[in-house]
Amino acid sequence: MIRRKGLDICLLGILILSIGCVPISKTTLIPGSPDDLPGCYVIFPSGPWESVHRIEATFRGGGSSSLLGVTKGEPSERRLQSLLLSPEGFILFDAEHRESEISVRKAVVPFDSPAFARGLMEDVTLLFLPPQVKPTTWRKETDGTMICNWENPDDTQTEIRGSTGSGWRILRRDKQGEVIKEVVLNGPFVNGLASRAELHAFKPASYKLRMTLVQPSP
Amino acid sequence: MKKFLFICVLVTTDLIFAAAAFSQDLSSLKEASRNIRSVKGEFLQKRHLQILTKPLFSEGRLFLYAPDSLRWEYLSPLRSVMLQKGNTIQVYNFSEGVWKPEMTQAIESRRMVLAEISHWFQGRFDQSKAFKHVYSPGPPARVTMVPGEGINRFIQRIEIILSVRPGVIDRVEIEEPGGSRTSIEFRNVEINSSFSSEFFEKP
Repeated sequence: MIRRKGLDICLLGILILSIGCVPISKTTLIPGSPDDLPGCYVIFPSGPWESVHRIEATFRGGGSSSLLGVTKGEPSERRLQSLLLSPEGFILFDAEHRESEISVRKAVVPFDSPAFARGLMEDVTLLFLPPQVKPTTWRKETDGTMICNWENPDDTQTEIRGSTGSGWRILRRDKQGEVIKEVVLNGPFVNGLASRAELHAFKPASYKLRMTLVQPSP
Repeated sequence: MKKFLFICVLVTTDLIFAAAAFSQDLSSLKEASRNIRSVKGEFLQKRHLQILTKPLFSEGRLFLYAPDSLRWEYLSPLRSVMLQKGNTIQVYNFSEGVWKPEMTQAIESRRMVLAEISHWFQGRFDQSKAFKHVYSPGPPARVTMVPGEGINRFIQRIEIILSVRPGVIDRVEIEEPGGSRTSIEFRNVEINSSFSSEFFEKP
């Protein structure tokens, strides 16, 4: 009996450990109820908005940087303008994303490479704009958790999962289905914006952004 | 012709007297600032950006030991500090409960900013390498810093509004070419109080 209990505990331990090791698996869903579809968009601001975030960036190798991020969004036009400021208020980077075009107005070293501009605007888009197409599949669980999947035109996939009570997670997968970016959003939501967000990029560059909402408007 | 000559003389005389008064005021300001050994104070910074309907507020404090030790510290919304002691400049950000050296540093641009702030608080406006200065007796007395070639791509002009207390600055207004501007208001300024020199070495 004692031996059986020991075996059970051992199996439980292995199970817990293996759960910790599995990659974030893709959830297979069927198209959900039209009534649940708006739930796929609740984490994105719907009207014009602007925000100031405190950003703590950590890069592979241990380097870190603290910046202020100022963003203005016009969701109906799929337009985002994003500024990075030094703690003193110097504008280090200023760019606009409109539809799928990026125009950089100002970028100082080391924020002046096209790859940086593309990566930053991708992050801002992932955080604040829903994918351009309708979700392919979605489902509302009995506990209120929403799970929504999008197949993007560039063959990448976006998955959103969460609820108001438990927080939200956005996953971006590449063509092979591997997670390249993960966002965790935590409330309370103020004017449609999460108070805290953490973005973890895995590929091609590895970095982490911890964002705290400082000033939402209007 | 006589009338024109009279006006010319009058204008010239006025200009000479104005120049004399200007020189006297600026001299007394410099004289008052010569006695400044240290400055300690708090500031409220309002950053007006065209992208934002409301200004971005930052709060901080400064410590200065004449001639070249300065601590310029932001307490919110980002906790960050620039330290200058002689030629050494260090920048730190407070993140995850500890002070971390700033990765980008941008030492040269920060060196220029810290040098300008040090000059202003010591009344040494004429020692600026990047700006020419114009003094207006007011009230309130103010010094307008006009940038030279190169800097004017980033800063259009700086207005330093002086307090009635000799050597104390009330407010600094910085205008940028795109229409953005920054206002820094100083409060609780103490002149010649003493504090540890470690303030300029460690975050």
